[in-house]
Amino acid sequence: MKPYFRNILLAFIIATLLFGTGFWLSNQINDLRLAELRNIQDRIGTDILSLETQFDLLESLSCQNIRENSVLSSELNTLASRLAYTENALGSQNEEVKALKRQYSLLEIKDYLLMQKVSGKCGLKPVFVLYFYSNEGDCNKCETAGHVLTYLRETYPQLRVYSFDYHLDIGALKTLITVNKIEPRLPAFVINGTVHYDLDDAESIEKILPLDKLATSSAPSIEKELL
Amino acid sequence: MNSTFEVVIYIFLFFGLFFEIFLLLTFFEPEAKQRRMKKPNKHFPTVAAIVPCYNEEETIAKTVESLVALEYPQDKLTIVLVDDGSTDRTGRIIDSYGSFPHIKIIHKENGGKHTALNAGIRATETEFVAILDADSFVSRDALKEIMAHFDHERVGAVIAAFSIWNPRSLLEKLQQTEYLLAIAFRHVLSAVNGLSVTPGPLSIFRRQVFEELGTFVPAHDSEDMEMALRMQKAKWHIANAPHARVYTKAPESIAKLIRQRTRWMTGYMRNGFDYREMYGNPHYGALGMLVLPFSTFAILGTIVIFTLTVAQTGKWLWNFFQNALVVPLSFTFHVPSFNFDWFFLPLNTMILLGILAIGILCIRLCAGALLSNTKPSVGMGVVWYLPFYGIVAPIWTIRALRDVVFGIRRSWR
Repeated sequence: MKPYFRNILLAFIIATLLFGTGFWLSNQINDLRLAELRNIQDRIGTDILSLETQFDLLESLSCQNIRENSVLSSELNTLASRLAYTENALGSQNEEVKALKRQYSLLEIKDYLLMQKVSGKCGLKPVFVLYFYSNEGDCNKCETAGHVLTYLRETYPQLRVYSFDYHLDIGALKTLITVNKIEPRLPAFVINGTVHYDLDDAESIEKILPLDKLATSSAPSIEKELL
Repeated sequence: MNSTFEVVIYIFLFFGLFFEIFLLLTFFEPEAKQRRMKKPNKHFPTVAAIVPCYNEEETIAKTVESLVALEYPQDKLTIVLVDDGSTDRTGRIIDSYGSFPHIKIIHKENGGKHTALNAGIRATETEFVAILDADSFVSRDALKEIMAHFDHERVGAVIAAFSIWNPRSLLEKLQQTEYLLAIAFRHVLSAVNGLSVTPGPLSIFRRQVFEELGTFVPAHDSEDMEMALRMQKAKWHIANAPHARVYTKAPESIAKLIRQRTRWMTGYMRNGFDYREMYGNPHYGALGMLVLPFSTFAILGTIVIFTLTVAQTGKWLWNFFQNALVVPLSFTFHVPSFNFDWFFLPLNTMILLGILAIGILCIRLCAGALLSNTKPSVGMGVVWYLPFYGIVAPIWTIRALRDVVFGIRRSWR
């Protein structure tokens, strides 16, 4: 065999092995990411369950106790940004991503319900925004809407934004959609119980938000409010 | 990211990596090792060094001085300066060397580089003919180094190792990086007789080649490529002398660089078409089976990746502006605080393989500098090499393709 032909074969084999190694390494890194996501979700799940149990056991749970658990919302935000990154890397149709999104949505719903209870008990008036989007190509304005919500989250830290993939197959989410009578006209927003469909910039959302209840990012955060 | 874009990038990345590994493996072949270990021999055959000149008043004197300073017996070396109807002071400058016994001067009407070369070949009877561009300067030992590589009767031409003369600006350093990469590339390809060009900055031919195959032809302003393909087709070998250093003046502006490379690229495409039967033809060994198909594949890759990148960037910019319109400008342009988090490190297959490919490219760059004993002098040229060529190479490639498709002929200068 001529040396150049042998080298062509060898180079092809090595390149294939390197490509395989590259994909394997990348998968390992993605597995680590997924493991961390599961870890955070487990932690949040346990925290929510613990808080709920305390609620059920001790009707007299003080607002001070709740303050200690208010770190939950920032944990949810951490999870959201990691999940979005992973979804972008692995694709929205990846089964692992879908499973994680389902769990995340459940955690969001539980946190939403819990925070409603907390608000009632402690006399707080937080602003809840439920945001429904789709990744299936039937929502042209969803990317822009997501960007607007990022801006709102950073500007008004007390705003409690919960994002849901409208087409995700979970019973609790379907119930939430039914209860709030949300039509498949996306993006859809539920702001303090009222559904809005045609909000496509920050200004129009800010007009609806009760800004008097929301301090901007330079002001003390929710921990202070809960005290 | 768009999946079509990803698939295309992976295909070109795979074959790019494959080709780089092939070069690396061949670099360590005994044939390549033997070539780079070659020492100048004691036998000095007669050589005619032909310098075709057309309006080269700025560099011709230095070119001639470098030839005069060559470490080669004077009675064995004839320098032929051919003025191809220059309209500047070139003619007068070369006339000032008329007193040198081994320098011949020819003045002729302008007819193109190939006519000047042929006039020089006809005016001499030496065993070997060296072709040197009038904007290139040879190192003192270049000729001795090159002649040692005519070690077989079928070695019809030997080419030198070229680098940029005194690279100072960033553009020159970028080209220096490119030339250093090419030194190792040519050295390796010569080991498998895969060279497809005998470049103007310095190539030496056995006279028998011209007697057998004829002299230079217009060849779409790329006579150096046409001659190489003609030789390869006739089963002559083209070798490379990696220690024979030649320095050439680099285009000093991006516009001039694009003009030069468009000419090279159209020359490649047109000559490639003229010699299309060599592509994928096992009769022509590594050149036919690997080098020529890969060169075409690289051209295709340059155009496809550039087009997809422009489309992706356009899409990204569109989304950016769409997003910028819905939030205050202060938010769009605020710089987020940076906290290191391994989770967000962009470590995907493409990046990992890209890093590997760049690593192999760096090895090739070092090999080029070491082989030719050239001071790299590349500075930031290394850092900006890929981004710069990633943007400008598609410009001259697309421009050349348009010229070929629409039959556009451009002037040399």
